[in-house]
Amino acid sequence: MITYREALSAALWEEMERDEDVFLFGEDIGLGGGAFYITKGFMEKFGRDRVVDVPLSEAGFTGAAIGAALCGMRPVVEFQFADFVTESYKMIVDYAAGNHYRQMGPVPIVLRLPAAALVSAGPFHSQNPEIWFFGTPGLKIVAPTTAHDAKGMLKEAIRDPNPVIFIEYKKFYNYPVAELPEVLRPEIPEGDYTVPFGEAKTLREGDDISLVTFGTTVLEALEAAEVLEAEGVSVEVIDLRTLVPLDKEAIIESAKKTGKILFLHEARKRGGVGGELAAIVAEEVFEYLDAPIRRLGAPDTHVPLSPPLERAYLPSTEKVVNELRDLAAF
Amino acid sequence: MDAKHPLATREELANLDFFTDLADRYLAVDGLEARWVSFTKKEILPDKKIAERMHYLVSLARAVEETLDSAFRSGHIPGTAFFGRGNEGASVASAMCLEDHEWLVPMHRNCGAHLAKGHPLKSIMSHFFGRADGPSGGRDGNFHMGYRPKRIIQLISHIGTMVPIATGVAWAAKARGKGEATINYIGDGGTSSGDFHEAVNFAAVRKLPLVIVIDNNQYAFKTLLSDQYACDALVLKAPGYGIPGFLIDGTNAPLVHHVCEQALARARAGDGPTLIESITLRAAGHSVYDKFSDYVDMEHFEKWTNERDPIKRLGETLIEFGVMTAEEVAASHEKAKRDAEDARDEALKSPMPDPAHLTEGVFAE
Repeated sequence: MITYREALSAALWEEMERDEDVFLFGEDIGLGGGAFYITKGFMEKFGRDRVVDVPLSEAGFTGAAIGAALCGMRPVVEFQFADFVTESYKMIVDYAAGNHYRQMGPVPIVLRLPAAALVSAGPFHSQNPEIWFFGTPGLKIVAPTTAHDAKGMLKEAIRDPNPVIFIEYKKFYNYPVAELPEVLRPEIPEGDYTVPFGEAKTLREGDDISLVTFGTTVLEALEAAEVLEAEGVSVEVIDLRTLVPLDKEAIIESAKKTGKILFLHEARKRGGVGGELAAIVAEEVFEYLDAPIRRLGAPDTHVPLSPPLERAYLPSTEKVVNELRDLAAF
Repeated sequence: MDAKHPLATREELANLDFFTDLADRYLAVDGLEARWVSFTKKEILPDKKIAERMHYLVSLARAVEETLDSAFRSGHIPGTAFFGRGNEGASVASAMCLEDHEWLVPMHRNCGAHLAKGHPLKSIMSHFFGRADGPSGGRDGNFHMGYRPKRIIQLISHIGTMVPIATGVAWAAKARGKGEATINYIGDGGTSSGDFHEAVNFAAVRKLPLVIVIDNNQYAFKTLLSDQYACDALVLKAPGYGIPGFLIDGTNAPLVHHVCEQALARARAGDGPTLIESITLRAAGHSVYDKFSDYVDMEHFEKWTNERDPIKRLGETLIEFGVMTAEEVAASHEKAKRDAEDARDEALKSPMPDPAHLTEGVFAE
């Protein structure tokens, strides 16, 4: 079995071999193989014109990637950390996202964003970027949590004619495969495969409560579901995998089945994707609900650095368990 | 560049007067040297075929914008409109240098460049009128338009944005094409943006086939040049990026053509980008809503619009050297006016977009 990081490398490598129009822009990705070594060895194989060490200029190289995409190329842009994508915000939401709607052609670009908290990385290397993009039409937003999905979804993203916000989780890059819950280490097929966007994955079937999540918190979700099972409560855990397009059906069907639903994500609760998802459930299947919809996300602060603060900030298994117990008792 | 072209002194650069100092020479900047290159009107004169086309296109650019201005006053243009009055010569003469398969990344004062690159008149008019058959189908307006069949890339409002986009277009031309050149325009205000810096640096590092024309029209909306930058001339930024630059009178269309040809030859040869600072005067408001007499020095304005009108200047030069007769020049104006008005009449017959399609096309299939 390969790691999440190795899966991303394999996807990039195979896509670059498959299609000469695929090329990589990023800081330190060539000579140095990238901050997380995802493109280690790529420059030797594909050359410095396809694995491009760009100057420190996120807006500039994102704009350049968009320009190349307008001409039919397939740029994959690596941000060193997802946090730095704010430098490129206008290029993405104002240029790339709306170009096809304005009838000026597709913008097939992939923006790879290494996201979320990882051991005291602090306020500028720990953020969850989906909240910055979720309200903008024309962007696909995907967030794979397994090596299987990381590879298949990155290939899908590169072949997609639209701009794709590809959120990667630093926490999973080198996560020891043997230590992952079995459901998070599905077999990776030999050779080429893709994972279609817009299909959530049920990680665990359950009847009493639906726990809908994405990103790093799949780990806490699965652990909490185990705890609740021991208490006689059956929790269904759903990994959304893509936020745009959204697998609304999976959420609705699960909510109808269990009548109780918790949305969980690492990003802040306020303004987080969970709010939109909760509203969808309230609007569409309110009559099936047996308890108020619950949301769990980070508190309304910036991501703190010092370990006790960071631990208190992040959604933990304990917090998820408490939410689930409240719902079970309702 | 040899010694017959005198070095510009520090004092000359510090006291540049765009009106007098560029009348019969331009500044060529390469590394630490800035040299004055003198020219005569005759030696930069384009041949008859190019000259005739140039004259028709500058006249057309003005006729199109005057027609649009009047259409705006009659209520045919939703939103607002920005025009490039005073910039027609630089716009046309630069874009004329591009081959059909090369790329244009214009801004909102480049009607002339659109026309020179072959953007059909009716498409431009339909776009301004918010019609279904315009290039954005009514989803955007004014000069926020491209025209893909002629390799014209679409502008967005955020000034500065198009310079990085242009580097990507040039990147693609270099990577998968034959190094076809790209021309991109930016205003004096736009050079203050971070995008400009990031893009010119990247283009220089990668020797991209790009020519960046700074249309220095002496105003960024209501802000004076002295509040915009502190260098003696914007062209002096070029050596900071390791690329050559030219400072030219942008109201002299044959000169713009002459200098752009040199910059494009360098781009096509794989030697990298060039920065051209083209001095014009914005001979109108920032937009149709702008009461520019509130803040523009009207004496300066009158002097420039009387003596540096690019269309009048081109006509007079062509007549003086016998390239065109006075009658031919007049006929060229007339044809331009007629063509613009015909296109307007056609576009006004085009259907408005159907709200039933409002939510279509957010994603490409």
